[in-house]
Amino acid sequence: MRPSSFRYHKAESVDHALELLARFGEDGRPLAGGQSLVPMMNLRLAAPEHLVDIGGLPLTDIAFTDTAMRVGALVRHRQYLAEPRVAHHFPALHEAVTWIGHPTIRENGTTGGSLSHADPTAELALAAMLYDAVMIVRNTAGERRIAAADFFEDAYVTALQPGEMLVAAEFPLPPVGAAGAFVEFAERRGDFAIAAIGVSITVADGRIATAAIACSGAEPRPIRAPEIEMMLSGRPLTDPQSRAAGRRLAAAIDPVGTFLTTADYRKALIGELTARAIDTACARAASR
Amino acid sequence: MTIDITLTVNGTARTVRVEPRRLLADVLRHDFALSGVHVGCAHGACGCCTVHVDGTPRLACLTFAVQCDGKAIHTVESLGGVDATHPLQQAFSIEHGLQCGYCTPGFLMTLAPFVDAMVAERRVPEDAEIREAMSGNICRCTGYHGIVAAVRRAVTEQIETGSAQP
Amino acid sequence: MTSADRRHQIGGADRPRHIGARVRRVEDRRLLSGAARYLDDIRQPGMLHLGFVRAQAAHARITDIDTSALADLGAEIRVFTGQDTSGLTIKAPAGHDPKSAALPDGHQGYWRMQDSEQPLLADGVVRFVGEPIAAVLAEDAYVAEDAAERIAVAYEALPVVATMAQAQDPSIPPIFAGWTSNVYIERQMAGGDLAAARAAAAHVIRRTYYNQRQAGVPMEGRGVVAAYDPADRVLTVWSSTQIPHLVRTYLAEELGFPESRLRVVAPEVGGGFGVKGQVFVEEVLVAWLALKTGRPVKWVEDRREHLVASIHARDHLHTLTAYVAADGRLLGLEADITVDVGAYSTFPFTAGGDPGMAAKVLPGPYDIPAYAATFRALATNKCPLGTYRGVARPSAVFSQERLMDDIAAEIGMDPIELRLRNVVRTFPYKNALGFSYDEGSYAQALERVRDLVAEDRAAARASRASATTRIGVGVACFIEQSSHGTPDFTRRRVPIETGYIAARVTMEPDGEVTVDIGLQNHGQGHETVMAQVAADALGVAPENVHVRQGDTLTTPYSVGTWGSRGGPLGGGAVHEAALKIAAKLKAIAAHLLQTDASRIALHGGRAVVIGNEGSYVEIRRLARIALRNVDQMPAGMEPGLEAQCSLDGPADGTYSNAVHAAVVEIDIATGKLRLRRFVVVEDCGTILNPLIVDGQVRGGVVQGIGSALLEHFIYDEDGQPLTTSFADYLMPLAPEIPNIEVHHIETPTPRTPLGAKGLGEGGAIGPPAAIANAVADALGVPVSATPLNANTLWTLAADIRAAAETDRDG
Ligand SMILES: Cc1cc2nc3c(=O)[nH]c(=O)nc-3n(C[C@H](O)[C@H](O)[C@H](O)COP(=O)(O)OP(=O)(O)OC[C@H]3O[C@@H](n4cnc5c(N)ncnc54)[C@H](O)[C@@H]3O)c2cc1C
Ligand code: FES
Ligand code: FES
Repeated sequence: MRPSSFRYHKAESVDHALELLARFGEDGRPLAGGQSLVPMMNLRLAAPEHLVDIGGLPLTDIAFTDTAMRVGALVRHRQYLAEPRVAHHFPALHEAVTWIGHPTIRENGTTGGSLSHADPTAELALAAMLYDAVMIVRNTAGERRIAAADFFEDAYVTALQPGEMLVAAEFPLPPVGAAGAFVEFAERRGDFAIAAIGVSITVADGRIATAAIACSGAEPRPIRAPEIEMMLSGRPLTDPQSRAAGRRLAAAIDPVGTFLTTADYRKALIGELTARAIDTACARAASR
Repeated sequence: MTIDITLTVNGTARTVRVEPRRLLADVLRHDFALSGVHVGCAHGACGCCTVHVDGTPRLACLTFAVQCDGKAIHTVESLGGVDATHPLQQAFSIEHGLQCGYCTPGFLMTLAPFVDAMVAERRVPEDAEIREAMSGNICRCTGYHGIVAAVRRAVTEQIETGSAQP
Repeated sequence: MTSADRRHQIGGADRPRHIGARVRRVEDRRLLSGAARYLDDIRQPGMLHLGFVRAQAAHARITDIDTSALADLGAEIRVFTGQDTSGLTIKAPAGHDPKSAALPDGHQGYWRMQDSEQPLLADGVVRFVGEPIAAVLAEDAYVAEDAAERIAVAYEALPVVATMAQAQDPSIPPIFAGWTSNVYIERQMAGGDLAAARAAAAHVIRRTYYNQRQAGVPMEGRGVVAAYDPADRVLTVWSSTQIPHLVRTYLAEELGFPESRLRVVAPEVGGGFGVKGQVFVEEVLVAWLALKTGRPVKWVEDRREHLVASIHARDHLHTLTAYVAADGRLLGLEADITVDVGAYSTFPFTAGGDPGMAAKVLPGPYDIPAYAATFRALATNKCPLGTYRGVARPSAVFSQERLMDDIAAEIGMDPIELRLRNVVRTFPYKNALGFSYDEGSYAQALERVRDLVAEDRAAARASRASATTRIGVGVACFIEQSSHGTPDFTRRRVPIETGYIAARVTMEPDGEVTVDIGLQNHGQGHETVMAQVAADALGVAPENVHVRQGDTLTTPYSVGTWGSRGGPLGGGAVHEAALKIAAKLKAIAAHLLQTDASRIALHGGRAVVIGNEGSYVEIRRLARIALRNVDQMPAGMEPGLEAQCSLDGPADGTYSNAVHAAVVEIDIATGKLRLRRFVVVEDCGTILNPLIVDGQVRGGVVQGIGSALLEHFIYDEDGQPLTTSFADYLMPLAPEIPNIEVHHIETPTPRTPLGAKGLGEGGAIGPPAAIANAVADALGVPVSATPLNANTLWTLAADIRAAAETDRDG
């Protein structure tokens, strides 16, 4: 359980990193927190020839504008928890981050790494889908902006091309008063989820105005549930009919079983978590 | 290909020549002869190899030594010396928070900053909070009970002795 | 006799000061500071690193081993295959000669066992994924791994035996040449009149139970270093093992190397739990390679190797039939026990160890007049089964205690009441198989637990109305035989052969004490406990006692640490050896003080005249006299202060008892289980050090919780392992585990010198049964298998969900 040989390059700046990544193409990979890449290398499931260490680059800020939150690619998971505006604007994101691994993983893992690694049940990927985040991707030629929905293509597959690097994720600010909830189910605290649901709602006159629901565990990437979102809008906070929404989502998905969980179980779990997440979000909105 | 890197380990800077693929855990164990860095899984899932890099807990099995060039690293050896005098180490012994000891350095390095933070806040954490703080560390021997008690004791005692001071 | 009385007897007139005290562990300092040296800290000049090419097919003929890709690695690599090591194997010959004397009735003799031999490196055929095929030696561990990765093995598939059913299917060929079936052994044991029980029974209750395959997973994996010193022709082998002397004997016999020139050292060992209690192919191979190459060789197991290729545990299928009287009394019990023990029989407990043990212990704490069992061990293309904490007893107790609850449900009796009606109450007790139990506190422990969980049981009943959350309480009542003596192994005819533990106690001229003991500490705190025991016998402080173990050079021959024997037998041996020295110290003191030795007591570092504390000699002065100023000794007394004791266990061992209770809360919609409480009432005889006893119990319980809920080593239908990292092989983490409540009853046994019984394994034995019973209680359904993960619990809760739906819709 030790990695194969590789060449190591320390990026001195973002441009330097992009140059190096352009030079190595398919054979090069960014190394950020190393919390996903290094285990794979130790297990010899990955053996990149060149590692471009971007860990020291100054992409470490969570910045707010009037319309968006911009999270640098090297923001550590823990930073979300230390920034009160995250919990204020993006309660489901804040809650999601508490579910990522363990304290030491959260100290060292990065946003860019998590989103680029694209584990099917990664909490940040789900939150990016939920809040319609936009991935800011650069290569030596320039910048692309990719909607989360287009970014996550499959398990561990994203729209990133060789030579490209994620520099930030931009989360548009939800309207004031938006409420949210994130619920996850894993066999043990800190494990990657079997399933998770994020809910974000806006409220008008004691009713859900708009709803967003994102789900992991149903497909090899996080998904949104547009029909359920439609169903919810206009429902009173006191009776969102969350059970029906959960059942409807469960009926619509077709997860695959693994050697640890059956497809039926995942379906049922997603239905249940959906109902609970909706209830929690509505209760929070109502208690304001 | 090898690279010269300078690590300040437990307060002493030294330059070593390493292959980029060498894991920090191996370099600390072999080049720096620090037997307190243990490897329990080499895939990030047990916490045995936890050290501090620039003051932050980090898994030495998920870190290449070259990433730490110019950084300060602390291992369990720096905590309370050969007599293990750190309050958390003492509490581990009193509460029987260790049996075979293999996981112990990792728990200590994970929990020492947590204990410090609690003492700074002058707050004795709930058991659930302590357990969450150690959720990335596996102990196969103790059933965690003694470790939880040790953390509680270390925090409580330090708050008490702190409050005794003017 | 109470334990306090018993303690008063220890050391004659001397009151024990240290035994029974909550003494902090002496081993902690080096473990906490990072100074402790484990196997991977052993380094030798010129050392080569060993990497393995391991089988990727479960059952196949090797058609080619291609090493050509090593050429461009740019490093010197040596490769060894089964051709180089042919003839060297792990063998565990067992069983009685069928022509020899009849087996003692009811005992665990292994009759007509089909033996298997595991070659050090595969001998043309691989029989499980992970079996070593080739060994590569390189100057660096990273390069050894590179080299192993580059060696390509071609296979020709053979029929895979992946299940118990396949192993018993006569149309599938045996996995070993010359075998008649894939059954290592099948045998019966019986006692009492089962026909009478059958005839008298008001209820006949038959159930099948299963415990999954799992791994032991000490946090330090295995590892071996070997170095040959041509100067004095000594081969030293360091191994992360629990059984250094047994490894030495095995190496001597297998390599034809004189045992007097072999030294086996177990350095600091990072957990074992029985896993490191077998002799492994890797140990023999590393030693052989060091001799072959003339260079020191090191192998440190990685986690994947550990999970797929050390040893596994459990994988037990039991069908029990209980014959029960109308009043709930058990009249008879029948058991059919099948264990999938994988591809090879392990040394020294063999493939028969697990099923035989299950068959032997199933009567448990209950007074059952008639019992009959059939047990069998099946060979499959999986990792061999070996000893892991509890060895078969977690499964036996799971079946027995699930059965008790199933009986209670069937006849409508309270499960604790049913147990109270059946537990043994008069001691010593001879069970249907002829095993004799020493004093225990079975009923008392049950009653204690009944009181402790009374409120939880009320809460459980109250939760029956809930469609969302159910609470359940389950108990497991069991005994644990330990401290088995040689006769127990002779009966079984397994290569362990004997069961004694030896200790040598030496007082040095300065009065300091050295204890050399044939145990091997890997977390049990032996250094502390043995120091307490020696200190009490010799009247010194534990700090004055240096305990050494794990090194065959310094320690007397013994069978190592396993089977919960360290306290009762190791402690007993230290006690007896120290008493011999104490007697000599007293004689010298009596001579100096001109009194009779019987009037001398040793304590506080002094030999004191009883009743006249002012009249004393410092023990250190006595030591100096015995070793240096021998002219001051009584005439004719031999100089020196060294004594040894080899203590064998009693023929039938000792029987610890415990009752575990689990209180669970289950989320009906998700299957999430929360352990609200876990309560232990246990009796391990004299408590030598309560700190350590509690630690052993709690650690064991949490491993047992892992067995009950999470840990599952899974193979697919082709014999491919699926849970090969900690991402899939799930062990308990701190947040899922409650504080474990431990209560003690102390019933010292007359069968060991200090009254102590075994304790190390008990914690792990009860939880699968207690938790399964709690789940059955919570959900109102029978539970027949583990692990009870969320998915499984969700499935078990289906009826509750359906009922709630009906309520809502109707
Ligand atoms: C025990 C354990 C438990 C964990 N549990 C969870 C969990 O519950 N939930 C969860 O979400 N995660 C979990 N993780 C993973 C953790 O969150 C990682 O930090 C994260 O997935 C990757 O971040 P990183 O910075 O460590 O990336 P790295 O490991 O450095 O990189 C991951 C991948 O992304 C690429 N990459 C990194 N940065 C960029 C970039 N800026 N642009 C383009 N590509 C990039 C790398 O080349 C690599 O392919 C766990 C990890 C461990 C070891
Ligand atoms: S060894 Fe680093 S986490 Fe297990
Ligand atoms: S003390 Fe042995 S693993 Fe924790």
